[in-house]
Order: sequence, then C-alpha cells, then structure tokens
Amino acid sequence: MRNPVIDVAALRCRYGDFEAVRGVDLQVHQGELFALLGTNGAGKTTLVETLEGLRAPSAGRVRVLGVDPFRDRAAIRARTGVVLQESGFPPDLTVAEVVRLWRRGDHRAELARLDLAHRRDVRVKQLSGGERRRLDLLLAVLGRPELLFLDEPTTGLDPESRQRTWDVVRGLLAEGTTIVLTTHYLEEAESLAHRLAILHEGEVAVSGAVVDVLAAQPARISFDLPAGLDVLALPMLAGDVVHEPSGRVEVRTRQLQDDLDVLLGWARREGLALARLRAHHASLEDVFHATRQVRVA
Amino acid sequence: MITALGMAEFKALVRNRTAAVLAFAMPLAMGVYFAAVAGDADAWTFIVALQLLCTMGFTAHMTTTTSLTARRQDHYLKRLRTGLASDAVVLTGVVLPAALLSLAQAVLLVGVSVVAGAPLPGRPDLLLAAIAGGVLASVLAGIATSGLTATAELAQITTTPFFAALLGGGLWVVNSTDARALALPGGAVAELVAAAWGGGGGRLALAGLSLLGWAVAGAALSVRLFRWDARS
Repeated sequence: MRNPVIDVAALRCRYGDFEAVRGVDLQVHQGELFALLGTNGAGKTTLVETLEGLRAPSAGRVRVLGVDPFRDRAAIRARTGVVLQESGFPPDLTVAEVVRLWRRGDHRAELARLDLAHRRDVRVKQLSGGERRRLDLLLAVLGRPELLFLDEPTTGLDPESRQRTWDVVRGLLAEGTTIVLTTHYLEEAESLAHRLAILHEGEVAVSGAVVDVLAAQPARISFDLPAGLDVLALPMLAGDVVHEPSGRVEVRTRQLQDDLDVLLGWARREGLALARLRAHHASLEDVFHATRQVRVA
Repeated sequence: MITALGMAEFKALVRNRTAAVLAFAMPLAMGVYFAAVAGDADAWTFIVALQLLCTMGFTAHMTTTTSLTARRQDHYLKRLRTGLASDAVVLTGVVLPAALLSLAQAVLLVGVSVVAGAPLPGRPDLLLAAIAGGVLASVLAGIATSGLTATAELAQITTTPFFAALLGGGLWVVNSTDARALALPGGAVAELVAAAWGGGGGRLALAGLSLLGWAVAGAALSVRLFRWDARS
C-alpha cells in the first residue's frame, strides 16, 4: 500500500492552557474524501490548520505529502489547495483582480464553473456570502491541487450553491484529488465521504469507513404508543425499547427486518395503528448523537 | 508575486476613501502648507524635517498599521498564507505601497520646498539617509504596532505613540541642543536633515545609530508581536 497523503500520530495542539487537540491519530489516503466532524469547539479547525501548516503542533507527528507541513510549508503549497473556515479578500478589489492575484492566466472556465463569470468585475464587498464562499473555493482549486482542505465550505450557502459546491467536489474526486472536509452538515459527509472521523473534545471518538461507522450503530424503529397502551404490552423484540416521555417509542435494533415484521404482525393482530411509524438504518446523525451521549455519560 | 500583491494593495488603498485621504492628501497638504508659510531662509531645514516627519507618520507608519490590521480582520492575511507566497513575500507585498508612497511623497515635498525658495541641500546623501532610515523605521514600527491593534479603527490610537516620537523628536531637536532628543526617531531624522543643509549639532553618528536602533527594534518587535490570524 502506498504511503498515506496525510499521516498524523499522537497529535496535540495547545493554546496557552487550553488543549484543543488531545492525541489524535489519523491517516488520509490518496484519492479519498476524508470528513472531519464534530461539534463547535471539538478541535476540527485547529486540527485542519495544523495539517495545512498554519500552526505548529505542541506534540506528536504530522506528515502531509511526506513532509512536515509547518516546517516545509513552501514544499507543499504548490500541491495543496485550502478553503479556510473564515476567509476574505480586500473588500475593494474585484473578483477578477483577486483571481488574477492568486494565479495568472485565463480563468474564465473556472469562473463559469462556479457561477461567478457574470460577477467578475464586481467588488468583493458587493458579493453575497455564498458568492464569496464560491470565490474562495475557486481560488483553492485554481492550481489543480493534489490535496484539498475544505473547512466548512458550504456553511451559510443556499441549497443551489451547496449543490454546485458538491458537484465541484465530486468532479475533483473523479480526477483523483484527495480531500479533507470539515462540515456541520452530516448528510453532506454521508453523501460525499469515503471515510470519516468524529472529534469530540479534541479526541477522535469514532473513525472509519462511512459504511462501517453506520453499520456499527443499531437501526431505529419509532412510533407513537397507541393511547391507553402500556409499553410492556409490546411484543418481544430483539432490540432495546426506549419509551420517551413524549409518548414516542424508539426501538434500537440490529435486526431491523425481523423486529419490524414482529411489530407489524402484532399491531395487525391487535388492530392497532402505529402513528408516525418510521424505520431506518442508522444515519450519521444517529452516530454523531450517540458519540456525544456516550462521552457525556 | 511581491509586485502583484503590492499592486493589489495599492488599488485597495486608492479605492478606500478614508485610507486614501490619510495616505495621500494629508501629508501632502500639510507639507505644502509648511512650505507656503515658511518665513525666513533659516527655517527651511525645520520645514523640510516637518514635511518628512508628516509623510513618515501618516503614510509609512499609520497606513502600514491600518492596512495590516484591516487585512488581518478581513482574514486576507491568513488566506494569503495558504497560497504560494512565503510569509516574507506576503508581508513585504502588503506594506510595499505605503513604503513606496512615503518615499515618493518625501521626494515630492522636498521638491515643493525647493520650488518655494529653499536652497538645494549641500549633502543630499544625508537627506536620503534621513528619508530612507525614517521611512524604514516607521514601516517596521507599523508592522509591530499592528500586532497590538485589534481593529483598523483602533489604529488611530495605537499609532499615536510612534507618531508623537516622530513629531516630538523633530521639534525637540530644532528647539534644543539636548542630545537626548536624538534618541527619538523624529529627532534623528531632523538632525540628519539639518546636517544635509550644513546645520545641526554635528551629531551624525548618534542620529544614524538612533535610526538604525529604531529599525532593529521595530523588526524585532514585529517578529514578536505580529499576528496573521484575527482569532489567535
């Protein structure tokens, strides 16, 4: 197997007394999209900025494209593209001037690809938040980087802009670009990522291939308990039954089909309607919440 | 890359009305005013020193501090660090317009004074040393000051001490023979300017060392204080 594009071992990052990243190990391989998830303050941005070479780790080992990204920033810059979480440009420059400053040449095709061609002579301060974010992405991909860092690239975007960003990201993946994505949108990670890590309080709480991470969590069946019925009257199920104060019943099961069959058979025999019945495999949101609950408990 | 960054910053400066007035109009207006009110022939070195200290204060020092702080607030400095340019190139590119503008204004204002009746300096090399040393010290102090300046608006306050050290030093040297005045950057500039026209107290080495000291201190403090990221 080839060397990983990113190789991190026992990484720690500290701001004064506060340790934002507390012993992270992870590897990102060529051509994959690796998603970093976590709540605000989980350490995602600190970790990504360390990988980008913008800050030195306080301990541990980091290799990006085979080199130390902080010490050898110049060596990786031409091969990496970066979209920072917060980013900006002099407000009085136009889109075309910013693009030209980043890289000389004719970039009309790229401007069109991100729907900015008609805004090329508009000053940055007059762009909408979504347009600014797309300009940011455009600059990150101008040099056709081997490795792209996207720190919350779709935060604040409308659904159409988000879709356009996803299309660009899928195009880059098809060309073999390796991508590290942090996002708050779990469905975004679920649909784009090959592998992921969920950070919680500076540590990796869960990591692995998206399918494996999802498979590790039980599926859910939920419905409103019919009025006047005790939860003990439910049939025997393989999964755990949780009766919430709202009257909602949730069954967490690894045998979704069997338990659903038992439940529906029972309801039919008893002549009961299970209102707002839902059955689904675990989503990334379930994994995310389970991670937080385990840690908090 | 330095040229491209410098041009971009120059355009941004010209298009921002407040910054443009501060950098272009203010030092020129004050410089021309000083030349216009100059009374007798002996006062010319004082006038030229004041003109130069104004452009060093407004254009080199205040504009450097304000530009770097505003660009940091825009998250532009951090964004530039993710690009191909090295830190030194980014920093030089962003402060270059203020430095060059200040040098150009200095030459222009000396020209204005000559046109208004000032004699040509006997030692132009000392005048050039005053201009180059003063602008360099002012820009480096501006880089360091921006590290202590949270917002571009606050730059009006944080640049005051160095500004005072420029003008105060200049006035002190002109009105007294106290050698301590040369410890201030304005005092050193005014001493070199006076010497360029054959005046001053003959304390050239002290004035030169003072400007060099301010430049070295500015560079050392810049390394220590300058921040790329508004967050950290």
